[in-house]
Amino acid sequence: MEVPKNAINIEGYWTWMGSDGIARTKVKPDSEITLEQAIENGKAVTSLFIDKKFPILIDSRGIRSMTREAREQFSLNGRESKTSAFGIIIKSPLSRVLGNFFMGVNKPTVPTRLFDNEDDAIQWLKNYV
Amino acid sequence: MNGENNISLSHDKRANEILEVILSFARLDFAQKVSISSDDDVLDGIGAGVNMLGEELKHSALTIKEKEQLIIEKEHLLKEIHHRVKNNLQIVSSLLNLQSENIIDAKFLELIKESQNRINSMALVHEMLYKSVDLSKVDLKEYIQVLTGSVNMSYSSPTKAINFNYDIEAGIFLGVDTMIPIGLMLNEILSNSFKYAFPDKQNGIISIKLKRDKNNIDLIVFDNGIGLKKNFDIKKQGSLGMQLVHMLGEQIDAKISVKSEEGTHYEINFTIQ
Repeated sequence: MEVPKNAINIEGYWTWMGSDGIARTKVKPDSEITLEQAIENGKAVTSLFIDKKFPILIDSRGIRSMTREAREQFSLNGRESKTSAFGIIIKSPLSRVLGNFFMGVNKPTVPTRLFDNEDDAIQWLKNYV
Repeated sequence: MNGENNISLSHDKRANEILEVILSFARLDFAQKVSISSDDDVLDGIGAGVNMLGEELKHSALTIKEKEQLIIEKEHLLKEIHHRVKNNLQIVSSLLNLQSENIIDAKFLELIKESQNRINSMALVHEMLYKSVDLSKVDLKEYIQVLTGSVNMSYSSPTKAINFNYDIEAGIFLGVDTMIPIGLMLNEILSNSFKYAFPDKQNGIISIKLKRDKNNIDLIVFDNGIGLKKNFDIKKQGSLGMQLVHMLGEQIDAKISVKSEEGTHYEINFTIQ
């Protein structure tokens, strides 16, 4: 996933809106995501909202850990009102465990699926544009 | 070969570390964490999963502990409330006592005594509630025995001996909303027997029966006194005591019957949840 120059750059994440109407957020390599970073990420995603809910592609391959509070924030925060679906790329063993844990324990309230490649994820997320 | 051995040793060490953390969870120590390497391999994945599980377990344990603490605090508070209500009622009763010291009018003194008995019957409910195990129910058998003793003392006279006969089923517990009206009604009925049932007799017997059939409770109080006036109707009685019995009976949807049968016979039938 190529990060464009105009991406919102915050601690732990790059976030931007794709020309296909699907937002992207990419975890920076070796990130240990805390509640504060999750909140900032939520703000960054919300700032992309204009008038219509949008799906979001989350590339979690660089993640090292995510605190319980951060996971809870991602499953419950106000982003739900702005986003229509989560597609999470989980290619590495760590991101795979984290993604599955997020799905199984934190139970996001928007449609969420895990993918091991970007193309399949985008294909599925197009249903929610 | 050496390189492979090193990797294998390192894997063993990491697997052991994961096992150690899982064992610490079994000891309810959720602070331990598996260290995650930068390899992002399968063991890192398992380690991250174990770490997240530990966080969830810690959160659940804290939630349970907080809830237990809340229950304990609520129980203390409830106990304190019942204690204070009882104390305040006793203060009111003592104030009436003090007031009565300067009064000579026998009728007025009688009214004060009646009021004190009513207050005491309510205070007794709160006293028994804060001494009870679950703080919400009173043992009706115990209550009746204590209340009859208290009314007996209040009306005791050196020239008259009133005895009680009990046939009370054990294991009936009432919540405060039912217990207060029942206590007050019982107090009125007993007081009436003491005051009016035995004008000339030196000895009298008041019998109390309590039976339960599923949720249906039958409380019968009868004395071997002179009985009621002809055409007695509880609803048309002018005395505050009988008005109270009628009114409190309506409050708990009780059926009350009063009749003269070799004395006065009261029957209160009510249901409990």
